[in-house]
Amino acid sequence: MDDRILRTGLFAVILAIAAIAAVARASDEPPPPLPTPETPEHVTGERPYPFDSADPREEDEDEPPIELPDSVSENLSLLSPDEIEFLKSQDARRFAGSEEDTIEALEERTPEEVKAWVNAMQLVIDHNPYKEGRDSPNIPLNMASPEFNAWRLQRPRSMDPEREPGPISLGRYDGYGGPPTFGGLPLALTREDLIAGEVDVAILGAPLNMGSGWRDSGERATADLRLLGWPIGNRDQYVQVNAGEVLNIVDYGDVAVDNNSTERSMQHVRDIVREIASTGAVPMIVGGDHSLEYPNVAGLADVYGKEKLSVIHFDSHYDAWWGGNHLIGHGYPVYRLINEGHVRAADYIQVGLRSGGPDKTGFNWMREQGMRYHNMAEVEQRGWDAVLDRVVAEASEEGRKLHISFDIDVLDPAFTPATGTPVPGGMTMREAITIVRRLCAESNVVGFDLVELHPALDPTYKTTLNSAHIIKACLTGLAMNREGLTAGHYLSPLSSEHAIDDYYGDQQQFLNATKAEEEAEEEEETGDAADE
Amino acid sequence: MRYALVVLLWASLGSPVETARAEWTVPDELLAQVQALNDEQAEFITSGVALKFLPEQQLEHELAMRDTESLQALVNDLISLALQMGYDPERDMGATPLNLASERFNRGTLPTPAPLRELKRDPGPFSVHRYLFPKSGVPTFAGAKVAIWPEDLVAGKVDVAIIGVPSNAGSGRRDAGNGPNAMRATNTIATPDMQSLVDPLEVLSVVDYGDFSVDWLATELSVNHVTDMVAETAGTGAIPMIVGGDTSMLYPGVKGVARAHGKSSFGLLHLNAHPDAQQHGDHTVSDRQSLFLLLEEGIVDGADTVQVGLRGPEVSVESLQWLRSKKVRYHTMTEIEQRGFDKVLKRVLREVDRGPDAFFVSIDVSVIRPAEMIAAGRVAPNGLHIDEVTQVIRHVCAAKEIVGFEITDLAPMLDFSRLSVINANAVLNACLAGIAVRKSGLDPDYIHPLVRDHGR
Repeated sequence: MDDRILRTGLFAVILAIAAIAAVARASDEPPPPLPTPETPEHVTGERPYPFDSADPREEDEDEPPIELPDSVSENLSLLSPDEIEFLKSQDARRFAGSEEDTIEALEERTPEEVKAWVNAMQLVIDHNPYKEGRDSPNIPLNMASPEFNAWRLQRPRSMDPEREPGPISLGRYDGYGGPPTFGGLPLALTREDLIAGEVDVAILGAPLNMGSGWRDSGERATADLRLLGWPIGNRDQYVQVNAGEVLNIVDYGDVAVDNNSTERSMQHVRDIVREIASTGAVPMIVGGDHSLEYPNVAGLADVYGKEKLSVIHFDSHYDAWWGGNHLIGHGYPVYRLINEGHVRAADYIQVGLRSGGPDKTGFNWMREQGMRYHNMAEVEQRGWDAVLDRVVAEASEEGRKLHISFDIDVLDPAFTPATGTPVPGGMTMREAITIVRRLCAESNVVGFDLVELHPALDPTYKTTLNSAHIIKACLTGLAMNREGLTAGHYLSPLSSEHAIDDYYGDQQQFLNATKAEEEAEEEEETGDAADE
Repeated sequence: MRYALVVLLWASLGSPVETARAEWTVPDELLAQVQALNDEQAEFITSGVALKFLPEQQLEHELAMRDTESLQALVNDLISLALQMGYDPERDMGATPLNLASERFNRGTLPTPAPLRELKRDPGPFSVHRYLFPKSGVPTFAGAKVAIWPEDLVAGKVDVAIIGVPSNAGSGRRDAGNGPNAMRATNTIATPDMQSLVDPLEVLSVVDYGDFSVDWLATELSVNHVTDMVAETAGTGAIPMIVGGDTSMLYPGVKGVARAHGKSSFGLLHLNAHPDAQQHGDHTVSDRQSLFLLLEEGIVDGADTVQVGLRGPEVSVESLQWLRSKKVRYHTMTEIEQRGFDKVLKRVLREVDRGPDAFFVSIDVSVIRPAEMIAAGRVAPNGLHIDEVTQVIRHVCAAKEIVGFEITDLAPMLDFSRLSVINANAVLNACLAGIAVRKSGLDPDYIHPLVRDHGR
């Protein structure tokens, strides 16, 4: 506590530096170019996936063939030598069990039954993996369609009346009274708008409704967050910061997705995320299913460089599944990002896991990779405060750039029932607001996403409201970061203590800190006046 | 050169709406504006291709109001859009790559072979209940017995196999994947038919045939397996009654039945708010393309297809003209409002009566008005009452030899009251009752004297 108060004393100095930085930023620099990403950005034509897609965790160690005793040789009489070889092999163990079980099963069967049994196993072993010539290596789209790209064609600026680039206020009355935007914020539609408006944060809707394959998210999620998202960008009482006043925040509309193909949507989402990040703005993506973490982080890596980002993944699931027939889905974004080299596994931090999976193989793999995980089991063991400090410390290491991927199912279903795969026993809103605000204030956050909102499941709208407050918490944190309030767990000395008596014995520190902040603000105002 | 490409692109289309666009000509008073453009731009505007990107009134407004420079900028942008619209192998993904290293690449499309099944039992449908007259327990469609393998259907001489196909894609809101289990859990199927007092379960051997597996991330990957399984089911002589899933599964449902009974060997009664006749979809299969694919591939004849309840955003000059070109007998909500439901019902039944002996009956629940079916994935205002829908379906299922039935796009989570599920079950029950009435040898319109009135 003392520490925190003392650090707020540094506030004035930091504020001055921040003010200088802000002035520097506003000068007329040429807009940064849109980067061209290295390595295959996405698959074109009918080409195969260019990365090794085998799951290393699934590589079984070669087990030696089992021995079959003479006592069962009569029952093997109808088998060919190849079939006998198969029966001894590792493949047959998946069905027949251990050596002992196999011998027992053989003894129970007639030679005819043994042959049918072995052939059935061979059928399954042959059927499951991909086989050239038999299975299609891809899902062909209708390439002959004259409307092939209609879903993602962008409206040329020339089709609407000419206007200056920059964020557009849709309201008639000082920004109010128009169609709903995230937090009632102005709208931006192009990269030029972001550059002209010196936009700090662009909130992008991503109505992807595929990954969970369950329930309804999509445009309902992005529309409802606009309808009910009034807290976004408003004042935070705890830290006395109003993000909407400190930062230029815009609603960047929704990104087009193909809700019949996750894979096809990925490429375009990544393009738009890259477009935002290339201007220096923080893309804040609201979805939509968790497949989106992949294009979001890949788009950031296109701008900031491969293996230059850390990702903190809030989720009740670890989302590093792999090995199915699809290359992306809401259970695989973490693995695919690592596999394609956008992020090192060691730069991944997982928080809040508690679903049934992964098993020991999954956790061992994470340990070997150096991936840091903070499961609800750790919270149960150490208590929330200890885990919170550990996560924030890890996320702030070396000042690395950080993307926060926030799956709302990390919260307890009491707060977010309207999500695709809820798991009880999760974080509370009080815990979530604090950790998100602290991370966005104390770390170098360059990207944020909030995913898996399925509003139709919650007639009370509390899931949407809580989602809006998570977004607000990060915006508040980003504004604190801009204001220099990056000291550990800053809280306003004014709103966090009435300081009328000395109940806790530290009354004076709060009074001093409040006074220091007031003086710093006055100084800033005087400075501003002098500049003018 | 660029322009030649665009023209080629559009010449290859020839669909009705493109014909309509080709009919558009530059109004005389705007000719001067067009002449001020360069040749490429002028030809582009004259071709009417621009109408693909902005409405006619808007285009004419822009032509009238813009100076040459601004007009040229717009036309150049429109030409650029036309060039981006189609597929380019250097720019676009033409096929979604799959994980070829997966050890589970085809998992979920192979029913467990007999020698690997753990429990040995004699074939035939079996009960999941402990009690003779159960009131609850493991939910099944119609509270019916369960069958898992085709030999169960054969051994039980099963008449009707009710099957879940829990796909969850398409163009609508999601949750159709929960349709089958919701209809199992709220069991209001297999109640006696009020008109004839025939109890379907007394007359028919009905089973819950479980679910057919689908790929939740790709409709395309679900089609072959579902087609195979439906064909196998129909091949045993049972009538597959399919519970979706989104409406993309109509395509494999009907295709599978056609594989067992022959292409064009039966008619299709299709109740749906949406025509699902999209001709140029960027996918090879989806809900919006389901009827288009069935007719285009000759699985059913357009002339044997009767469509009822059309309305909503997909009904257009283009879709209706295409349905007409295929000789589909369609009945829009406008016809129903204009003539009255009873008259249209009569017309529909006459068309069905005069059609082939056998029919496949399909319903996308969007045909029912939202007040009675809010949990439709592609909900559309207005529409038919539930009792109007059950009347049509009950009659056709009683009057015709039914080769298959399918109900699609019930997204149960969208209705907290569960009314939608009860009504979806009522629809399935109407067909089941009809089939039972026919099997009892009764006239489709037979009314039991006891229900006609109290007789006093």
